[in-house]
Amino acid sequence: MRVTPVSRLSIWLDQHWRSAYGSYVEMRRRPLATMMTLLVIGITLALPASLLSLLKISQSMTDDQQQSASISLFLKNGIVNEKALRVAADLELLPQIDHVELLTSADAMDEFRSHSGFGDALDALDDNPLPNVLLIHLLTDNGSMDIKKLASELKQESVTDSIEYDQGWIERMQAITQAIRRAVQALGFGLGLAVMLIIGNTIRLEIMNRREEIEVTRLVGGSDDFIRRPFLYIGLIYGLFGALIAWLLVSILLMLVSGPLGRLAELYDTTISLSTFSLQALLLLIPIGISFGLAGAWLAVSRHLSSIDPE
Amino acid sequence: MIHFENVSKRFPGGHYGVSNITLEIESGALAFITGHSGAGKSTLLRLIALLERPTRGQLLIDGRNIGRLQENEVAAHRRKIGLIFQDHRLLSDRSVFDNVALPLHVRGFPVREVGKRVRASLDKVGLLKKEKVLPITLSGGEQQRVGIARAIVSRPPILLADEPTGNLDPELSHEIMKLFIAFNQLGITTLIASHDLDLIKKLDRPVINLQQGELT
Ligand SMILES: Nc1ncnc2c1ncn2[C@@H]1O[C@H](COP(=O)(O)OP(=O)(O)OP(=O)(O)O)[C@@H](O)[C@H]1O
Ligand SMILES: [Mg+2]
Repeated sequence: MRVTPVSRLSIWLDQHWRSAYGSYVEMRRRPLATMMTLLVIGITLALPASLLSLLKISQSMTDDQQQSASISLFLKNGIVNEKALRVAADLELLPQIDHVELLTSADAMDEFRSHSGFGDALDALDDNPLPNVLLIHLLTDNGSMDIKKLASELKQESVTDSIEYDQGWIERMQAITQAIRRAVQALGFGLGLAVMLIIGNTIRLEIMNRREEIEVTRLVGGSDDFIRRPFLYIGLIYGLFGALIAWLLVSILLMLVSGPLGRLAELYDTTISLSTFSLQALLLLIPIGISFGLAGAWLAVSRHLSSIDPE
Repeated sequence: MIHFENVSKRFPGGHYGVSNITLEIESGALAFITGHSGAGKSTLLRLIALLERPTRGQLLIDGRNIGRLQENEVAAHRRKIGLIFQDHRLLSDRSVFDNVALPLHVRGFPVREVGKRVRASLDKVGLLKKEKVLPITLSGGEQQRVGIARAIVSRPPILLADEPTGNLDPELSHEIMKLFIAFNQLGITTLIASHDLDLIKKLDRPVINLQQGELT
């Protein structure tokens, strides 16, 4: 055998391919046990992954909300439109404010009429009961403290009847999301360790089953690397396919919630693309599955292979 | 090539497998190892294959003191040796072909070379037609020949056989010994532990006799 770099690479590839394929064949020989293990791994990984996806979705919705943060300023009765426009122009000069929209009582009435279906009932009213409203759109990079301060300042204005802004619940939501995210991360780490142990234990059994083969391989001069390799591939395959099953489960879950979530998103005037979250989950699950699989295999192999010795 | 210098193997518990062996086996030689049961024949062979480590003395192979080899050098050492056991040690769930191919796989031979060499090796022991079957479907003598094919397939410089004819009939035993002699003529240093004194006498080769772990 002449050993050129190219033939060395091809031998290396050939050996790895053989190990990987051999491991696959070995797993195929016990399809039921293999499928059960894969399912357990998949479900275990799917749990934190789906929680994380849902969190990301809710976060993206509140993020959009923050970008359109606005204050509704209800003008006192009797403020005429010209005055209202002047106030709006003055407010637009403030640094925190992007632009100000005037929603007159007539506009508001039209909108209400067309959306609510109470048209006839409204016609019975003599007066338009709705106030003029200034919709104050804030600049996106505003800190939340500024919004509170601005709101209380606006409240002092003589034209102001009342102020409404919805920053509060967004903040609460973000704080809750943050807390849940931490919890999910901790849970994910714990379940990742569980996956590692499941794979480690599966490989321990595999090593015990193939004791004779390992002994004979040692007798004919198989190196530790050579003996270790198929077991590491088994760990890798379990991790990879477990991750794919987890991804499938997460995608099914996302599909199930896509209907209600879509309506929710419409209400908040945002759009969410579930395929993005599904892809994100895949990109997260595959490296995690592979590394926990390899780690579990490595653990089992380093603990149990050395105990099998023809000596 | 194989040089024992005051080599002893003391097992935990104080029992000696071999003691104070000094012995030189030339490259390309063929020698028999004889002695009663428990005399240390297997221990001697196992020391050479590093299945046991000497507890005293030096065991030099190709000038290297193998008693000093690190754990991660043992596999490379074993690749210089073809091992044959009385109980064959074949893998029962693998075909004859796959059993014989194993030493080539651990050496990283390319697939095509593996096929050629395995068939050449099976041909030498007369089992070319049996490559697809499982070892259990073979007779004891055939299984022994599969073990021999596996030992020679990588063309190692040293061949060690521990009672390769242990429970075969005299005729078959002779056939197998003739196989070893044929390999030895290709330059493989060969050591065969055996009880079969009649057969050994007929073959007229050097004999290493052990008694309670010592050379006589
Ligand atoms: N692992 C071991 N632990 C303790 N003592 C051992 C061990 N292996 C062998 N011995 C002892 O060493 C001595 C030599 O054993 P060995 O197997 O080399 O004998 P042998 O000549 O091959 O015998 P047989 O012809 O029965 O195979 C025996 O007394 C045996 O009891
Ligand atoms: Mg013996």
